[in-house]
Amino acid sequence: MRHPKLTGRLSVPGRKARLATAAMLLVATTLAACGDSQDDDAQASAPKAPATIPELTKDPLTLSFIWFDWPPAHALEEFANAEYKKERPNATIKVNTVPNANWHDAMFTQFAARKTDFDIAVLDSQHIGEAVTNGNILDLTDFVKNNIDVNAYNPYLLAAYGQFPQAETGKRDENASLYGLPLLGDTWTMIYRKDLIGDKPPQTWDEMISVAGKCQAENPGVSGLAFHQANGSDAAAVTYNTVNGVYGGNLWDPKTRKIDGVLNDAAGQEAMDVLVNKMKPLTAKGSGNWFIDEVNAAVAQGKACIAFNWIAASGGLLDPKQSTLGTTREQILDKLGFATLPSQKTNLVPLGGMGMHVSAYSPAANQAEALNFMKWFERPDIQKKWAAAGGVPARTDALESPEFLNAGPFNRVYADSVPRMRDMWNVPEYARLVDIENTNVNAALNGAKKPKEALDDIAREQQSVLDSSGRKGGGGL
Amino acid sequence: MSDPVPLTTDDPGQVASATPPARGRSRRLGDRGLAVAFVSPALLLLLAMSVFPLLWALYLSFTDYSATRGGPANFVGFGNYTAILTSAQVHTRALTTLVYVVGAVSLQTVLGFAIAYLISRRTHGRGLLTTLFLVPMMLSPVVVGLFWRFMLDAQFGVINSMLGSVGLGQVEWLTRQRTALVSLIVVDTWQWTPFIMLIALAGLTAVPRYLYEAASIDRASEWFRFRTITLPLVWPLLLIAVLFRAIEAFRLFDLVYILTSGGPGVSTETLSFHVYKVAFLGFNTGTASAYGILMVLVVVVLTQLYLRYLNKLKEG
Repeated sequence: MRHPKLTGRLSVPGRKARLATAAMLLVATTLAACGDSQDDDAQASAPKAPATIPELTKDPLTLSFIWFDWPPAHALEEFANAEYKKERPNATIKVNTVPNANWHDAMFTQFAARKTDFDIAVLDSQHIGEAVTNGNILDLTDFVKNNIDVNAYNPYLLAAYGQFPQAETGKRDENASLYGLPLLGDTWTMIYRKDLIGDKPPQTWDEMISVAGKCQAENPGVSGLAFHQANGSDAAAVTYNTVNGVYGGNLWDPKTRKIDGVLNDAAGQEAMDVLVNKMKPLTAKGSGNWFIDEVNAAVAQGKACIAFNWIAASGGLLDPKQSTLGTTREQILDKLGFATLPSQKTNLVPLGGMGMHVSAYSPAANQAEALNFMKWFERPDIQKKWAAAGGVPARTDALESPEFLNAGPFNRVYADSVPRMRDMWNVPEYARLVDIENTNVNAALNGAKKPKEALDDIAREQQSVLDSSGRKGGGGL
Repeated sequence: MSDPVPLTTDDPGQVASATPPARGRSRRLGDRGLAVAFVSPALLLLLAMSVFPLLWALYLSFTDYSATRGGPANFVGFGNYTAILTSAQVHTRALTTLVYVVGAVSLQTVLGFAIAYLISRRTHGRGLLTTLFLVPMMLSPVVVGLFWRFMLDAQFGVINSMLGSVGLGQVEWLTRQRTALVSLIVVDTWQWTPFIMLIALAGLTAVPRYLYEAASIDRASEWFRFRTITLPLVWPLLLIAVLFRAIEAFRLFDLVYILTSGGPGVSTETLSFHVYKVAFLGFNTGTASAYGILMVLVVVVLTQLYLRYLNKLKEG
């Protein structure tokens, strides 16, 4: 009989030996694979881009971007394919979009794999530190020196979208390295109902709260304020940072890397108190998870007296198809006004927008095309065209151009806001820091934590992340 | 090579001698080779996709490796495990997960069994009803999450609109600490009650009819029949369904991600969602690996205890 014979062959010791061999093989493979990962250590800092653009291919080529899904991403693809193709007919621009909440992960998981399906990453200004220290994007310093007129930009914008280590507000370090070039500038605009609160926008934060309270009381069903409070992305964090700045607070001391004791000082506590106890009661019930789209929806449906949103995301508000405020753009503009943020102890506004950064893992031909695209995109005439197409440029000449200022009612707001901008911490630990701030501000706004407790927790947890950034094991909890 | 064989011959014996039968040993090897050929692709796939990543994760869990930073994977011993097990943040998430698992699975079990019991008593339309009840289970959790996010929106959602029409106030379903977790449990229950129902229905239809007939001859009450016949026979199958659901619920991620993002604050942040943050926000791969290994261990240990109880029940 065959079966007993076979069983006899696979006697217990034999089976054990085979299992042991298999286990040893697996462990050996595992160790070998881990050894490979250690070889990747060579990437300790960003590789350098060539100072001059290498010879471009004449073959058909697709230049891929990665960004999050919002109107400027679609506008960029349309604009670039229409205009860049005039100079490079063989190049097609593809802007891959992901949901905002996945944006960081979508880019950095590919960076982690050392292989990207995009050539140009549109990084948030605060992502630069993480990408640079991990060697994920090209160092563009030499390329910029040879190809870009850096004096054409507001130095803070150029620093925010490209420089690492971070520049202090308004002071770009000309000797520092640049890793990106501006793609889209942005900041918050105050959107107010002219028909409900009058043509003149409030000038101070306290006045704004008072006006919003009065408007809410006089208009049942309309909330006084609408702003970002959501738990995901940087929604609630930017809201707190804005109020913190306006009330004279600081996010940290970049020189000493101190957050605890700085963020939660008297100014920081006053800002949190204003946000939670004075502003939150003027918002719609259940708005604790609102972000860009929800705020726009509240404005478009006439449910808010005053709202705050990113300028680059505000274009849809003037679309009669999406609004109940009027059947034409003019009718909507009779009711909606756009203004720079009110000031209080300071006049700071949040810096938004993003830069273009070349993936270190993109093929050489695509990297060359990416550099060529960036040089083309930063040209003054193209920046003006981009402004007319709905983009927000960073070159000063384009910012002051009629093409930009006449393209939308909020563009003047951006031009006026540029000297007032403040960014967040541009450090490799940004993703963890912003998550801590987001969850705690969201908790305070939704009654899950007391304002002071939330602020102290942010300061303590963020400080712990910064302090433990070089620690071995258990980091990141 | 064997000699060439003539196509036609008058001597059958000659043919037989020209093509000797395969020797026993080579035929046996052929069978074994065939078996290996069939099994090895699946085995290799299992090793590559399951065993190898698990071993690698186990190795990384003892290091400070970061996938995005690259660099050497320095050995940190049990540092990651100690940090996780002593972290107050992890304890909070574990409690949230426990409340969620117990709440959701209990509710689903009661509802699923009740629906199955009612359906099993129907003679007409049983198939149609079963199919209709199964629809939520067929949907992707992402679709379910987005669908319920709109339904539960405090300002524009259908649920609050219905509550308003009967004179009740607005409820902040997803933005208040207590209602957010309840909302997650309700949505998960909506999607997965059909699973329990399906298993319970299979158990109920397998109960021998003669037991009920004998009970009815003895004039046994409906409750007595349920308590002494239906429940004991369906119970083991129901417990297996509960086991599957509990494991699934323990690693809940998608609904949290879409409905609440773990909020308000971190009040609906489950262990799986927290692991995701550790792994992809800070790219602390070593810590995240230790976290994952611990979660697997918890599930394996609890499952073993549960299976022992099931076996005891079977023996009893």
